[in-house]
Amino acid sequence: MALHCKLLSGKTAVITGCNRGIGKAILESYAANGADVFACVRKESAQFTKFINRLTEKHAVNIIPLYFDARNMDEMKNVVHQIKDSKKKIDVLVNNAGIGYNALFQMSALDKVKEVFDVNFIAPFVFTQYLIKLMVKQKSGNIITISSTAGIDCNDGKSVYGASKAALICMTKVIASELKSEGIRANSIAPGLTDTDMLLCLPKEFILDASSSPDLNRIAKPSEIADTAVFLASELSAHISGQVIRVDGGVK
Amino acid sequence: MTNIEKYNQTFVSSFSVKEEKLLTLSYQSVDGWDSIGHMRMIAELEEIFDIMIETNDILDFSSYVKGFEILKKYGVAL
Repeated sequence: MALHCKLLSGKTAVITGCNRGIGKAILESYAANGADVFACVRKESAQFTKFINRLTEKHAVNIIPLYFDARNMDEMKNVVHQIKDSKKKIDVLVNNAGIGYNALFQMSALDKVKEVFDVNFIAPFVFTQYLIKLMVKQKSGNIITISSTAGIDCNDGKSVYGASKAALICMTKVIASELKSEGIRANSIAPGLTDTDMLLCLPKEFILDASSSPDLNRIAKPSEIADTAVFLASELSAHISGQVIRVDGGVK
Repeated sequence: MTNIEKYNQTFVSSFSVKEEKLLTLSYQSVDGWDSIGHMRMIAELEEIFDIMIETNDILDFSSYVKGFEILKKYGVAL
């Protein structure tokens, strides 16, 4: 059930990885709740432009698309400049962009280890460093990082992906501690199996029934992760920081 | 206001020091210039001069005087 109560009215958010999966659902939920959004994606596409135009019209919010590849620091800096030049107060940063990878420890290639860490950890680390400077100046800010239960549970095949997400969880907790005096809070959402393209990198036997089963033993919908991201961005969670919220239906 | 006046004012207001003390001012030499104060001062300089200081330069920014050299890299002449 998506929250559409204008919980984020008057707020501006920056969300990475908005073109599909969880990021797209968060963009949709934030717009439905009245937030203006800098929607970061890797490449411009007619489909994405159409999507944000529809959201803008439907919810009467501003959605500004920004384009950068997580591994291209020059593109990232250019995007940070655009955000800074807008002079808008940045209330929320959602670090969502990431890539999946599933391989046994002994079969994990070093180039894939580097690629996963570049996209899943280094990019959000640097992007957050840039945007936190704006938040320090504002004396307020809210950082939400999408990690994974794989970063907590250390499942087979997840030595690389899980480690990159565990690094994000550590980063989140450190930011929450170091910057609490600046009015900046940081939390992480750890989704379990979620109905996104990332499932394609998993063996079939791990994929549960994604039908609308009434019980919790199923794959999550991206909108269910987005609902938690709305809660964490809203004033309903004003005194919550340094936490990791599992959204996995209790399934391990 | 000239660039040097803006630069000096940032230090004076960030760390509550007198302008005549600036030449000897360095990181952690006064109470306010701790890591949090450092990031606030960097954010202030970025705002005033409309620049984005790289992390390595933030770490190198060890004194008032060193700041001249670093800001020059970003096209800010003091």
